Amino acid sequence: MFRYTPILIIGLISIMFTSLSAQDQKILPYPIYQQKLANDLNVVTIPFDSPGLAAFFIVVSVGSRNEIEEGVTGFAHFFEHMMFRGTDKYSREEYNKVLKMTGAGANANTSLDRTIYHMTGNVDYLEKMFDLEADRFMNLKYSEHDFKVEAGAVKGEYTKNFASPYQQLYENLLNTAFESHTYKHTTMGFFKDIVDMPNQYEYSLKFFDRYYRPEYSTIVVVGDVTPEGVNELAEKYFGAWQRGNYSLDIPVEPEQKGIKFFHLQNGSIPPYLSMNYKAPAFSDSKIDMPAIDVLNTILFSQNSVLYKKLVVDEQKLRFLGGSATDSRDPYLISIDASFVSKDDFQYVRNEITKAIEDIKKNGVDPKLLQETKSNLKYSYAMGIDNPSAIANSVSHYIYLTGDPESVNRLYALYDEVTIEDVKMVASKYFIESGLTIGTISADEKGGVE
Amino acid sequence: MKALIISLILTGIIMAQEVVELKQPNSTKVVVKLMFKNGSISDPVGKEGLTNLTAELITQGGTGELSFSDIQNKIYPMAAGYYSSVDKEVTIFTFEFHKDWMEEFYPILIGLITNPSFNEPDFERVKVNQQSYVDQVIRASSDEEYSKKALEDFLFRGTNYQSMVEGKSSSVNSITLGDVKDHFKKFFTKNNLMIGIAGSYTDEYLNKLKSDLSKLSDVMPEIPAAPNVKISDGIDIEIIAKDGAFGSAIFAGYPLPITRSDDEFAALMVANSYLGEHRKSYGKLYQMIREERSMNYGDYSYIEWYNNGGGNMVPPSGVPRQSNYLSLWIRPVQIAKQLKAQYEELKDINIGHAHFALRMALREMDKMIKNGISTEDFEQTRAFLQSYIKLYVTSTNQQLGYLMDSKMYGRENYINELGELLSELTLDNVNNAIKKYMQINNMKITIVTDVSEAEVLSNSLKNNLSSPMSYSNLVKAGLPPEILKEDSETENFKLNVKKVTVIDSKDTFK
Repeated sequence: MFRYTPILIIGLISIMFTSLSAQDQKILPYPIYQQKLANDLNVVTIPFDSPGLAAFFIVVSVGSRNEIEEGVTGFAHFFEHMMFRGTDKYSREEYNKVLKMTGAGANANTSLDRTIYHMTGNVDYLEKMFDLEADRFMNLKYSEHDFKVEAGAVKGEYTKNFASPYQQLYENLLNTAFESHTYKHTTMGFFKDIVDMPNQYEYSLKFFDRYYRPEYSTIVVVGDVTPEGVNELAEKYFGAWQRGNYSLDIPVEPEQKGIKFFHLQNGSIPPYLSMNYKAPAFSDSKIDMPAIDVLNTILFSQNSVLYKKLVVDEQKLRFLGGSATDSRDPYLISIDASFVSKDDFQYVRNEITKAIEDIKKNGVDPKLLQETKSNLKYSYAMGIDNPSAIANSVSHYIYLTGDPESVNRLYALYDEVTIEDVKMVASKYFIESGLTIGTISADEKGGVE
Repeated sequence: MKALIISLILTGIIMAQEVVELKQPNSTKVVVKLMFKNGSISDPVGKEGLTNLTAELITQGGTGELSFSDIQNKIYPMAAGYYSSVDKEVTIFTFEFHKDWMEEFYPILIGLITNPSFNEPDFERVKVNQQSYVDQVIRASSDEEYSKKALEDFLFRGTNYQSMVEGKSSSVNSITLGDVKDHFKKFFTKNNLMIGIAGSYTDEYLNKLKSDLSKLSDVMPEIPAAPNVKISDGIDIEIIAKDGAFGSAIFAGYPLPITRSDDEFAALMVANSYLGEHRKSYGKLYQMIREERSMNYGDYSYIEWYNNGGGNMVPPSGVPRQSNYLSLWIRPVQIAKQLKAQYEELKDINIGHAHFALRMALREMDKMIKNGISTEDFEQTRAFLQSYIKLYVTSTNQQLGYLMDSKMYGRENYINELGELLSELTLDNVNNAIKKYMQINNMKITIVTDVSEAEVLSNSLKNNLSSPMSYSNLVKAGLPPEILKEDSETENFKLNVKKVTVIDSKDTFK
């Protein structure tokens, strides 16, 4: 069996990088066209070879991060539901009927920092999609009764989610790790607030007025389209959308001063450990986040030393993974492990810490660093083979920075990450005083230090 | 690639093999799918889960030359991915890689399939995971998925379709590494393999693949027939009582004698889409139960198996089945314990919404059976499907998967043929299919609910007790008279319930 020497591998990888970026130096190998309307609505078009098909996304910069008032957590997500409740022009029934005729796959989802509305379908219906979306984004109108009824569906969603102990762990994690910032609650919101939602009709009107505005939104169209055609539709249907004047003041999370623990007593699933460090906010110009991504990939991929030891050889763990979430404000780097036996909680916690400390001191192997950059780039390139996947990817960067080109800048930054950068982020962010540890087991206490 | 060509010449004649090709020269990647026409139906009795464990051990193990960790190291810079999926009648290995790495990845792909390492440590690791899935995870992580798997167990009881592909507690426990090796030889052979390849591969690459795969075992596998399940007499319900359940998760179903093979399936698809298109607000069930009454997160109907409905928006490929069934999915509704805690005005209720929701779903289906659908609904739903089915195949992976599934149903290109069938349909075709295949009186139902709800729900269902909907005052105050009228008709709608059994969650999938 022929084996590559390390030097050969590095040579090979640099060839591959050239190959991956042969058409274009950018990770997204398609030109991004942007046009800002007079009302500040940004319109992004990416022509893509998908005959007859287009993905139409609207990214609104509103998520659970925006829920600053007490008692009304979960509203960004609730609003995602309300957006399907109709207007004077298209009642809920009429909206459904017209959308059904287009045959599009349409839905929406909400996260920490954004709500995304998306439709993918026959490009011949693109104008109809613009018409439907512009109408509800500008003229949404629902009765107080409809509002109260929809709150029940949100509770239904919470009910199905809450069946999972992992969801319960996540809810507890945010509530423990954060003190002041709105990341303290999940996108679903605190359950007491969900139960109280039907009473918040007036607040809902205020919420719509604040955030469903052109300056908070971006349109993304990917597929069998031209920028001229898309811009024309955007102007025609969204040109009259009025700017708002709300600016958001989010509480700043104080620096965490010591390690925090929480535990869920639940013997119905395999024991679970979640270690969470405070991460920086996303940036496409600072090296910190790209270096953290590199570090997490090195530490927790299936080829990592830790994975080989704890999962493959010693078989203490059923699963090990770690990653940082891209977010507008500082959020979390999460390391998760599912166990065969809870007796190994402390051992695994120590092994993970040891591996991190080792990198702080000794850095990482240059070959591994090079391979990691290759891994990150090829992972991305493999995932963008249809209009919806591309629209989804650029939407991610739009809500983080407002600019879809951030994806290209981020991947260019990965190339610049050095061993020193990896050591730096390990020392700066993977610190005990910023750590929150959660556990699930049949025991009354987690028993991890 | 030169090495591949030389190797080809040396290999000599290539056997005729079943190959599905989808050339996409502009694509940057290659997808290979190896489908063995062998799924959990060939698990020996007492060793249920063996096919899945075998497939998992192949993707979670090594090759003759490389350990699992060696492979991970090699594919790391490529970000190549591979996984197995097992259903009742097929096992599929999918490999996705960038065209830049076609040659480097090849030995891993072929080594895993033709020369898997099958060693004891890997076996232990994979088995522990599968054991904890059947012992714990399926019961604890999603009540919806739990009720769905429990329905299959109930609907196909006593047949080779009954068990989850992962098996059950006792059967997984009894599987040995010897069983896996033996099973691999008998059931993963060149005689039940379909090769699928898509993307920017070369002819040489495919020829090499075909040649090397012809070295698989030559055994002619004895695949058992898919079961022919009789429709139950009346409605038979199993309530799974689980400690700490937050709601009641419901699945209902009965055997259906047609599949994608039959042209009439297109007509039934229109009826099903009208009644309960997956994750769409257009379906009647969704509109009645969620939109108008906000009882839960969604309500849908199906005329074939839909894998991971909670995660997938369009039906994934890779689950062709001969033994089919129709099902209704009512996502978790509120239980009395929760409603009492949330609303002062509901403090005296003793039952949640499950009975009412079930009545509403079956009554809506019954209305469709009795009245058929209108010309307008037919035209709208057909137009929707004509465009929507194209979204099933937007990625290379799904395009290839659907083409391979087509073969399993005796078709060439299911999505294209379905488009033609839909365009030829008439309203009568759809309404005739409804009359022929849809009914509400004979089915099996599983409900996963909290211990506090199980007995009272059982009693209510068994005795067809009236089950008025318990709204909070906030919602009730604004309900229009037509909703209240519909509710009062629904709360006493008679269901043909013959039997209700309450089962302890701990006793499922034993």
